[in-house]
Amino acid sequence: MSGLSLGKKIVLFGLLVIVMMTGLHYSAGGIEKFTPLTSSVRDLLSPVQRVIMIVGREVSDFVSTPARLIGLSQDFRQLEKKNSELESQLLQFKEISEENIRLKKMLDFNTGLAPQMATEAAAVTGRDHGNWFGSITINKGENQDIKSDMTVITPAGLVGRVIRVSDNTAEVLLITDPRSGVGSMVQETRSPGIVEGVTGGQGSLIMVHIPTDLTPDKGNRVITAGLGSVFPKGIPIGTVREVRKEEAGLFKMAEVEPYVDFNRLEEVLVVTSFKLETP
Amino acid sequence: MLRTLYFLALVLGFILLQSTALNFIAINGIKPDLVLVVVILNGFLRGTREGAFLGFVGGVMQDLVSGGYFGLYALTNMAAGYLGGLGEGRLYRDSRVIAAGLALFCTFGAQMVFYLLLVLVGVRVFVLTALTGIIIPASFYNALVVLLFYGLYYRSHREGLLSDGQY
Repeated sequence: MSGLSLGKKIVLFGLLVIVMMTGLHYSAGGIEKFTPLTSSVRDLLSPVQRVIMIVGREVSDFVSTPARLIGLSQDFRQLEKKNSELESQLLQFKEISEENIRLKKMLDFNTGLAPQMATEAAAVTGRDHGNWFGSITINKGENQDIKSDMTVITPAGLVGRVIRVSDNTAEVLLITDPRSGVGSMVQETRSPGIVEGVTGGQGSLIMVHIPTDLTPDKGNRVITAGLGSVFPKGIPIGTVREVRKEEAGLFKMAEVEPYVDFNRLEEVLVVTSFKLETP
Repeated sequence: MLRTLYFLALVLGFILLQSTALNFIAINGIKPDLVLVVVILNGFLRGTREGAFLGFVGGVMQDLVSGGYFGLYALTNMAAGYLGGLGEGRLYRDSRVIAAGLALFCTFGAQMVFYLLLVLVGVRVFVLTALTGIIIPASFYNALVVLLFYGLYYRSHREGLLSDGQY
């Protein structure tokens, strides 16, 4: 390399960049399976990642315990006070809850999705190693009948979808990833829209293309819309935090606070089949 | 040759750490990019040519493990290694503060390259969000890591596994 003239070095460098850009271009089209080399590397590293993840979690808990203890006595007094307040509120809520059950029956509104789904539990063994993307690696793959585009959830709500599988691992694209888009709607106003990720690391979401005549309110629930999407209908996504106009001005957009805490994902459920029950 | 292998083993170890344990020290979703840090430091201590070359090879390893867009990390780390190499011979290498400043500047530059490549493959992230949410915080976090651990890396470069004696 040192014997080459400057001109040849520039040509070589240019060729290298062109080759990498070509690789980048072709790998940008959604590939559903890892290449054999990547697949082997990921299967090999997955158990190591799982061990490091467990050790890391234990160390993190151990280190943060003293800091948590400092505020504990103060928290205890506050909790005692809150407890008595909540007891009185509980009586009120029981009454509302019974009313709610009656109303749901009347509307035949089916919110219990669990009986309609077959799920496979999986542990999170790793995350994307950069700050831009939001993806996780789980310890179930093709050998456990996990396929691309399967929905991934936790009891709290929607996590994402499987984008690539190897024999024993799968990569899940989180809904916080900027590449993610979920057909969704606001439960109260029935306003449709698309929930997109902002950046991988930050757990925030935006819902775009909301019709202006169906503007949601702060605190409204956002769920998956189901229509033409890989996600089954009715999975909770989050609550509306703020609504504003889109730059183009034709639609509204909303900041959505997700139900799932993406920084603390340990186990997830992969929806392997979904049976839509129609009334 | 042996030194290069040690360097790449270090890169692989850091890739594993970044995908696992480093998530527990993420601040507002941002974790330090150790691979980028060692690529920059390698460039700083070895010059533009080796910096860019090992940055490229380390980036290819990252691309292989991530299985996503092939070339994204290779090109970014190559740029980071080259930028780090611009400091070689020009900046005082015994000072961890100077090394940290260089890491801040190079991380910023490399993350901008990453952002441009994302735009090229059609991934949309708002410029302001990218700058305030990722690029600037990550640059400062990487600078902090260099401030804390530069001495260790520099010692290894002078008389440890990453020194010329390992050739």
